Amino acid sequence: MSVTAAAIPAARTASGSAWGRRILNHALIFLALIAAWEAGSRLGLLDELTSPRPSAIVESVFRIYVEQGNIYWHFFVTLVEATAGFIIGASAGVGLAIMAGINEPFRRYIQPYILVPQVTPRVALTPMLIAWLGFGWSPKIAIAALICFFPPFVNTVTGMLNVDEDAREMFRSMGASKRQIFWKLQLPNAMPTIMAGLKIAMSLALAGAIVGEFLSAHQGMAVLIHRYTYSLNMASAFAVLLSLTAMGFLFFKLAEFADSRIVFWRHDDRLTRIGRKRAAAMEGVMARQGAQQPSAERPV
Amino acid sequence: MAAVVQTLSQAAPSPAQQARPIVIEGDRVTKIFSETVVALEGATFSVPKSSFVSLVGPSGCGKSTLLRLVAGLIPLTSGALFVHGQAVGAPRKDVGMMFQKATLLDWRTAVENVLLPTEIGGSVTWEDKRRAIDLLHLVGLKGFEFSFPRQLSGGMQQRVALARLLQTGADILLLDEPFGALDEFTRERLNLELLRIVAEVQATTLFVTHNIAEAIFLADHVIVMTPRPGRLAAMVDVPFARPREIALQQTPEFNAMVSEVRGILGGHA
Repeated sequence: MSVTAAAIPAARTASGSAWGRRILNHALIFLALIAAWEAGSRLGLLDELTSPRPSAIVESVFRIYVEQGNIYWHFFVTLVEATAGFIIGASAGVGLAIMAGINEPFRRYIQPYILVPQVTPRVALTPMLIAWLGFGWSPKIAIAALICFFPPFVNTVTGMLNVDEDAREMFRSMGASKRQIFWKLQLPNAMPTIMAGLKIAMSLALAGAIVGEFLSAHQGMAVLIHRYTYSLNMASAFAVLLSLTAMGFLFFKLAEFADSRIVFWRHDDRLTRIGRKRAAAMEGVMARQGAQQPSAERPV
Repeated sequence: MAAVVQTLSQAAPSPAQQARPIVIEGDRVTKIFSETVVALEGATFSVPKSSFVSLVGPSGCGKSTLLRLVAGLIPLTSGALFVHGQAVGAPRKDVGMMFQKATLLDWRTAVENVLLPTEIGGSVTWEDKRRAIDLLHLVGLKGFEFSFPRQLSGGMQQRVALARLLQTGADILLLDEPFGALDEFTRERLNLELLRIVAEVQATTLFVTHNIAEAIFLADHVIVMTPRPGRLAAMVDVPFARPREIALQQTPEFNAMVSEVRGILGGHA
């Protein structure tokens, strides 16, 4: 034990400096690429009209966020469209899939209706959706929802059906009801797969909203990109694109955070803390057992 | 020390069996899955209270099928099967089962896994929690009550599964190769602890294995089974005194008995 204990801090420092070196390498490569781009632009190797130099993009970012401050409303519009689309599409997908997972006839009957829209490119529906829903927020939300529906649906069905047969028998041998098997085994067992589907849907939601805006809209990030590109203000168009990258990153981080909370048992780093929390919740029971000394040796 | 071998058709209960009440009784139990698959044919047997019975035989001999029939998980095709004198039709509270896979729920700590049968049966009391922790200590997991399955070794996971089985309060334990997926050393140690634990809780145990030495080492009686169709070939009484030590497996008497069972299995093993 003492050997490992002594080895750990040393190892951590070593990996710490390796990590620092890696970050430094990344930064150097990134700066080199940007510098090459900037130089290429200044030396006239790149057409400045269509490929703006990095410094011009940075200036544009400053302009649209600080000087003009015109991006916030559009950012908000796209954010709301994508979020609403995600919530509607994903909850419909997960909900229907759960019903399909617990009800075999339902699963059989909806199968063809699921397959057909799945093999149809959903974005092709955009003009029809605009015809039905007009030019406001709703067609964009509808497209985002339509695109968001399938990954959570397919993943949830898969997760619901993918239950270990032995575990199911174990529940049955304990006299568990169908309802208990669903809540205590099937659903938590499907959670990692469901979350994976939701993560995919989250990034698709943004794409759906943008496609809708490109086709017909007078507000939103896609409208800004259109407007700037048409007026050959490429630097600003890139600045808006960078903002979309940031929004996508925000979604991604949010999904990762939710994943680590909801399916915590897939995240080894969280197990010890949660175990300690649950131990504290049962402290009263443990206290009556006398002082807890871990076994001297780890059992096999 | 000669082993007592009986062919099952003329099985007369030994004096030791007569002294104890019979808790599991099968009369020509037959299970046919489809016209071509006869999993178990005409199994007649009886298991006395608090005894340890091993079912040994090659794959396809119907030993797991017999276990699942006793557990009430699948219906039998013909014959009769009684637990505590009542015909088996559905899972019973006094019969618990354990598999080769630990089948623990990854999102629950060890003690929460042990409490699962109590939760399924109704609400969990303070007393249940105390008992769950006691059982984890009984199976040697003191200090690991709040570890998650992913943090435990395969052997420790099976220990949790055993504690969960005991938490059901069942006095009939059906074990389907419970340590079959573990390495030799771990399995040997867990077998010894299993013997200690079932003796302590005075459970009646049916233990399925395909390892002849393991079957004999653990059991009071070994039921030898042959495949296609699954049949009970013989019941062998194991006379060795308890508690048993690993060294028993090196004695000539033990090896003689292993050869005897191997002989019964004949061309099947």
